[in-house]
Parts: sequence; C-alpha cells; structure tokens
Amino acid sequence: MAELTFTPVIGIEIHIRLKTDTKIFCSCSTNTDAPANSHICPVCMGLPGSLPRLNHNVVEKGMLAGLALNCTVQPRSLFFRKSYFYPDLPKGHQISQCDLPVVADGYIEVHDANGNLKKIRVNHLHLEEDAAAMHHSASDGRLEGAATSYVDYNRAGMPLGEIVSEPDISSSAEAVEYAMNLQRRVRYAGASDADLDKGMMRFDANVSLKCSDGRWGRKVEVKNMNSFRALERAIEFEIKRQKKILLAGGEVLQETRHWNDAKGVTTASRVKEFYRKFIVEPDLPPLIVNQEWIDKVTAMMPEMPDVKANRYVNDMQIPREVAEVLTDDKNLADYFEACVSAGANPLRAANWVRTEVLRVLNERGQKISEFTISPETLAGLVARVDEGKLSTTQGKEVFDYMCANNSSIDEAIKHLGITEGGIAGNALSEIIASVIAANPDVLEEIKSGKDKKGKKLKFLQGLVMKETKGQAKPQEVAEAVAEAVK
Amino acid sequence: MELYELNLHFLLEGLKAKKFSASEIFQSCKRRIDECEGNIHAFITRTDDKEPQTENADGILAGIPTVLKDNLCTKGIRTTAASKILGNWRPPYDATAWKYLREAGAVLMGKVNMDEFAMGNTCGNSAFGPTYNPNDITRVPGGSSGGSAAAVSAGYVPFALGSDTGGSIRQPASFCGVQGLKPTYGMVSRYGLISYGSSLDQIGPFARTVRDLQIIMSVIAKHDPMDSSCFREKNPDFSHKDKVSIKGKRVALVKEFQDFTLDAPIADAMTRTRKILEDEGAIIVEVSLPVVARYAVACYYALAMSEAHTNLERYDGVRYGYTVTDASGVKEMFERVRSYGFGSEVKSRIIAGTCLTEPSRCDEYYVAATKVRTLIAQEFTRAFGETDFILQPVTPSLPSKIGEVDDDEMKGYETDLYTLPVNLAGLPGLSFFTGYAGNLPVGLQLIGPRWSDPELLNAGLILEAHLGTPKIANGGKN
Repeated sequence: MAELTFTPVIGIEIHIRLKTDTKIFCSCSTNTDAPANSHICPVCMGLPGSLPRLNHNVVEKGMLAGLALNCTVQPRSLFFRKSYFYPDLPKGHQISQCDLPVVADGYIEVHDANGNLKKIRVNHLHLEEDAAAMHHSASDGRLEGAATSYVDYNRAGMPLGEIVSEPDISSSAEAVEYAMNLQRRVRYAGASDADLDKGMMRFDANVSLKCSDGRWGRKVEVKNMNSFRALERAIEFEIKRQKKILLAGGEVLQETRHWNDAKGVTTASRVKEFYRKFIVEPDLPPLIVNQEWIDKVTAMMPEMPDVKANRYVNDMQIPREVAEVLTDDKNLADYFEACVSAGANPLRAANWVRTEVLRVLNERGQKISEFTISPETLAGLVARVDEGKLSTTQGKEVFDYMCANNSSIDEAIKHLGITEGGIAGNALSEIIASVIAANPDVLEEIKSGKDKKGKKLKFLQGLVMKETKGQAKPQEVAEAVAEAVK
Repeated sequence: MELYELNLHFLLEGLKAKKFSASEIFQSCKRRIDECEGNIHAFITRTDDKEPQTENADGILAGIPTVLKDNLCTKGIRTTAASKILGNWRPPYDATAWKYLREAGAVLMGKVNMDEFAMGNTCGNSAFGPTYNPNDITRVPGGSSGGSAAAVSAGYVPFALGSDTGGSIRQPASFCGVQGLKPTYGMVSRYGLISYGSSLDQIGPFARTVRDLQIIMSVIAKHDPMDSSCFREKNPDFSHKDKVSIKGKRVALVKEFQDFTLDAPIADAMTRTRKILEDEGAIIVEVSLPVVARYAVACYYALAMSEAHTNLERYDGVRYGYTVTDASGVKEMFERVRSYGFGSEVKSRIIAGTCLTEPSRCDEYYVAATKVRTLIAQEFTRAFGETDFILQPVTPSLPSKIGEVDDDEMKGYETDLYTLPVNLAGLPGLSFFTGYAGNLPVGLQLIGPRWSDPELLNAGLILEAHLGTPKIANGGKN
C-alpha cells in the first residue's frame, strides 16, 4: 500500500488595529499607554441610550489596508450586531461588518516550497470594534475559575480590520510569509502600526488536512496566536496532531482550539463556541463610499514594497538582496530615496544605508526616524567618497565620528585631521623635503650608493607616509621620494 | 383659573408680559402634582422638591416645567426605563432632546412612568406599578408613554416628552386626551433614549394644543451629530403660527381599514373630522395599503423584538444598574441579574427576538421582515403620491379598564394596526383630540409623508380650531 500523504489547507484571519487617533464609534483616544479605564465614554461603555457613530478615518484606514492587499473598495457595506455575552463586550454584541465588508477580493504573494511566487487570495477586510481587555487573577489567565477578573474598557471600541484569507496556504512557512508580508504592506499604507508586542496584530488560523486517499479532515480553528513564531508553531503542531489522528484512521473534530504558547500545544476550547447571530446594526446607516472618496484614498496609497524593490533592482541596479532589506521598512526606503534625491549615487547610497546606517541603528536599538544624520548629509558624505576626496576608510571614520558626536562632515574631518583629496604636489614635496632634511645621514648613504637593496629608500618613504597620516597615495610617495634623493 | 391650567403658549405670553413669574408657574404645577399624584401615579422620580432654576432665563422655554419619560437619560438623575435592572443608575449624560429643552430654559419636574423598556400599551407593565388615566382612574392611560400623557392631561406640566416605537406616544395621547406627535424617524435625535427597537424608536412631544407641539418641535427638531440616523439638512421650520389653508389638499382614508369595527365614539369622530376637512376645502380620497393591512403587525413584531433583544444584551450587571456580588462565575452572574432584573413582558420579547434571529430561522423571520418592511415603505410612498395626508383612528377602542383583558385576538391585531405601520415606514403621525365620549377623550390620527411634520401640525391647527382643545382632566378628584 502506498504511503499516505497529507496536504495542509490553511486559511488565516488577521486582526489589525487601524491607525487612528480616536476609536471607531466615539471620540475617545486610542492611546494605549493610558491608565486603565481612562479613555472611556457612554458610547464605548455601551451605556443605555448611547449610539455609535462611525469614525470616517477608520473607514479610510480600512480602505488603505485593503488597497495594500490588492482589494477592491465596495461602494456599499453594512454593519451588523454580533451577539454574545462576555464581560469584555459592553453592549453584549460587537458591531462588525461581518460578511458585507468595505473592501474585498485581494491577494498577496508568498514563496511556495519550490521558491516560486504564489498568490494567497484575500477574501476581504471588514471593520469592527475591539472588545475590552480582561485581566484574570487565575494562574492560567483565563476567565473560568479565576478568583477575580478586571476589565479595562480603554480597548473597547478600538478600530480593527479583520483580514480573512482564502484557504490557499499550504504550510506554516507560507503562513508566516503571508503574515509578514501583510504586516509590511499595511504599515506601508499607513493603515496600521501592526505592532505585535502591543497586540495590534493577532492571528487565528483555520487548519485542515487533505489526505491522498481522498479523505478531508474537518476544519479546526486555532486561536490566540500573537506572534509570527506562535503562528508558525501552532500551525505545525496542528498539522502534526491532525495527521496522527488521520493516520490512525480517526476523524478530526470540527472545533475551536486554543494555542497555549508556553506549553506549545493547542487544546480544545473549554468554553463551547459562543452562540452567535447577526442582525443589521439599526443605529448605523449603510456605509456608502463614492468614487470621489475611493479616488482620494487611492491617491494616498504609497508605492508598495515589492514594486519599490523591483524599481531599485531594475532602475538603480541595486542587488535584490539589498533592495529587499531597504524596502522592508518604508521609513528606511524613504531615507534611502531621500539620499538619492540629494544627489548620492544610488548603488553607493544603498550600500551605505544597508551596512553603515543599519549597523549604527542596530547598535543603538534605534529606529530610522530617530537617526541623527539627515539623508542629505549622508548623500554629501557618499559624494565625497565617490569623488575620491575621502577614501572609503576615511568616509567610515567620518561617519562614525558624526554619529558619535552629532557633528557636521567638516567638523568630523577637521577633528580627525583628514586632508581632503589626500596629500600630493607641493604639500607632499614639503613633507618629503623636511623628512630628508631631518635624516641627512640616510640621504648620504643612499647618495653614496650603499643602499643596494633600497632599504634606506623604503625607510624614508615610510617616514613620509607616516607624516601624511596615510593620506598620500603610496605609489606617488615612492616616486616622489626616489626623485628627491637623486 | 390656576396657572397649571394654562397651555404652553399662554404661559409664554403671560411670562413675557410679566403677568406672572416662572416661580409662580412652578409652585402652581407642584401643588397640582401634590394634589393628584396619589390618584394618578405618573412619576417614577420627582425632582421638584426644591424649585429648579432655569439654565437660560432668555430661552424660549425659560422656566417652563416639564417631565420626561423615564427612558430619556438625565445627567445625575435616576433613569430606570421602568425596570428593576437599571437599579439606581444615574446617567453621566443628558439625552440630546432633553439637552435642547434644558438649554431653551425648561425645568424638570421629574421622570415619569412607562411600560418597562417601552414594551406595552397600558403603562401597567412597569416595575414601579401602573399609572392611572387622569380622566377616569379606573382606566389605563395607554402606553408605553402613559406617564407623560397623564402628566400633561392632569395639568402637572404644559408639555412632556415621550417616545413612540409602535404607537407609544399616539395611543396614550388619545387615551388621556392630549395632542401627541410621533415625528418622522430621524427628526429628533435619539441620543440618550434607551433603545427598544432602534430603527422604529422616535422621541416626540405631548401638549394640550397643537400650537404647543409646534413650539416644542422648534426646540427639539435639530440636527445632532451624536445620532447617525438624525437628519443632516437644515433644521425644519416649525415657527409659523398662523394656519395655512388646506384647501385643495387631499386627505385619504385607507380602503382596507374600512371593514374594521370601531367603537361608536371613534367612528363618529371619523365622520365629524372628515366633514371638517371637507368644509375646509380638502378633498377626501381613498388609498389602498394591502401589504400594510395584511403584514404590518407581524413584520413589526419580528423587527421590534429582533432589535430589542440585542439592545437589551448590555444589561449584564457588569458596568451599571442592578447586580449581584456573590455569584460564582460570570454565567451565574448574568443569569441572576437578568432573571431578577427584567419583567416578564421584557423577558418574553427577548426570548421571541432570540428565536426570530436564531441562525436556522433568521432568514425565515428576521430577514423576511426586513424585506416586508421595504415593501411597506414603498406602499406608503406610492400612497403619498395620491394623497397629502391619511386620516385614521389611533385605536379602534376607548381606553380599557385597568386589569381588563381583551380576549378578542382579532381586535388586538387591529389595535396595533393603526399605529405600527407608521413606525415601520418612519412616517410622522399626529394623534389629535376630537372631543369627549362621556368623560373619556377620543383621539384620531393624521399621517403624512416623511419630513412633512410641519405640514402635519398645520393641518392639526386647522382641525383644532374646529374640534377645540382638551380641558384639564380631573386627576381622580370628583
């Protein structure tokens, strides 16, 4: 009997926090550093009589995120009430666009196991409100059995976009690439900071296995992944778990499972899936997006990272590997492009940013936005090296000095005692004359023809090089010294 | 004559002419309340223990006392929706409609009774006990805004606010003998109105004259960014005090309603009103509303309950209102809070709404009802192509005795049929006083197309000139 093989079929739901100053249905701040329950109002607390009102910036950010995922804006979308009882849900229902979303039908590309590009279809992005954050005093951090639970409603009403993929993903590696690519793109679009550490990006995965004997495993929803690593591990665990069941001739149950990051396992949700039903949110009119608005948002869309990287490769002859590093973060790419705009040679500027700038940022744990050397200044430095006024080594010394002392290029050059363009001509002749004058005995030996092996001549050349602090070309020094002692 | 007997526009004129002071009005109203409240029981919370000061001495309603249905939020003042579940909750904010009144100088005498969460039509379905009809305390005042209608009828205040989801302003106005307007959906901000059926709810005024309704509408019918369903165009003009002739205007009777039985005094009132309209030069026509007649009641209940059960999901004891502190776990907490906090009518509507929207039945009931609703709105739009107004009863019968149960189910259906469709289509409906049958007032209803509220009140002024204005009810004192 042929050995059974299994193909994973994976779909991912990603929640991203949309980047707005205020919440989705009220004007409370979205600042996450505030003390608990300080950014709340009748609306996000669901007080009797309060009504939601849609924040149009949230719609705009949702549209931007959707466009970044190659989606199409839907001219008419709706909000629904998604009901379930839980203390983190102020109204007992979540207002969500569910399946009539503001943007739909997109894709992003990932590399498959053979390194070929593969499209992962994005079904849609819908807008919804976040629930409050709960803090439980039970050891496992879950509500059941907790002695005391605290609710922080600052998070209630935070604007979310839920991005639902089609089940086009076949491995944990593809899943992670999909998620990372998505993160990069929504960041580029300015739609979300998608900061995993701050809970601004959260993952759920639907995992099932297709068996070579024609059997299909049931879909299992795995929740609670808050990092790329967790996403990867949870999917891998789930594939293994389901494979084992199917190999033993068992049946995979359709269920919701919870990823336990500490133990590295998924466990069946102890709470039965909440009973949910949807009615149209009667307090919000249908969301109508006209062409004018679509055009305005489309015009706000920046060049996406893959397009940008291709342009660097094709138009600037930058190696792909460097182009991908530069375009990973839009601010870094912007910095690089500002260098080029200021006149720097693109390839040289790319290498400088890739090696020197990123090295310093890594050493300091800084972001490019915090970097003290302006792209125009860096362009100036690159140009001086390019023109041969500074050697590459000198350029790097100047760069380090500038970083350390927050100085200008000229100050750094002066402080480091560098003569731009090196020492040659009269300046070199003067140094040679003074070296010779200080060593009459050596000169005598050479003139008398005793220096058969040229050791004394090399000795003089070495002294001259030392005097120029290495700023003269060795060939030139050798020739000039030989000439001077004749 | 006591000051409490004066209608709103006379009070405003008198104040302007300095014939009396706001303080004297307050004292007179307070005495009237003290005198009758033992019989009427209109209040849930009184706020007249000391004389409230007007916020705006130059405002159009400076010093005018009013009461609010207790589902309108009042900052710092207990707001109950006549339910135990809200406990002693004091909202941290004012409903927009009350804010507009307050800013115009009105002063609050208290919060008045209603059916719990506005579910009911007798005002007997309140956690605080029933309100009695000031015209005959053995009878119901109607509901759900029974406390507001009774307070205006008994002379407690010259005007009050209520809310109307399926007739909750028009029916008690008719039962208590006052004028009541259910404005076009979106005409008055719902912000701060504790929701029942959000797509049907609308705040509106009660007063003893149509002219007074105009004054109140000119204050509360303003755009409010806090309510997304509120109109966005310029504020409607309710200021015209003089009647505009209705000569040549068409007033329709609904063909399908003509076979239904009405109590004799209501049928008489229809005949009399029709004659007045004809004398004023209006043309009486007939419109056909077959979908309304056949499906409106079922459609209404499916939608109202579906929305209601989601609106009531927030009452879980976690953030405000009634709660328990010794439950083991949230599930038990939710169960105990909701079991104790809600009355039986509210519970049955929550259960009905949950069933109607349950995934396996949702398409058959809730979704179907939303489609029928569209048909009903379209039917009214067509009808208003053929007529300017529709004249019909508010209810087929006069107010029933308290505790009386009507076993005739078909009559129950007709009872709702005259009021519910107006909410489904978001139309304005005026419940106007036509006279008395013995000691009981008789009201009728005039309906207009959406946003025709000013024209509707103008027609009301013309009718009022013939039919007269109601007198102050005896308030249970014989």
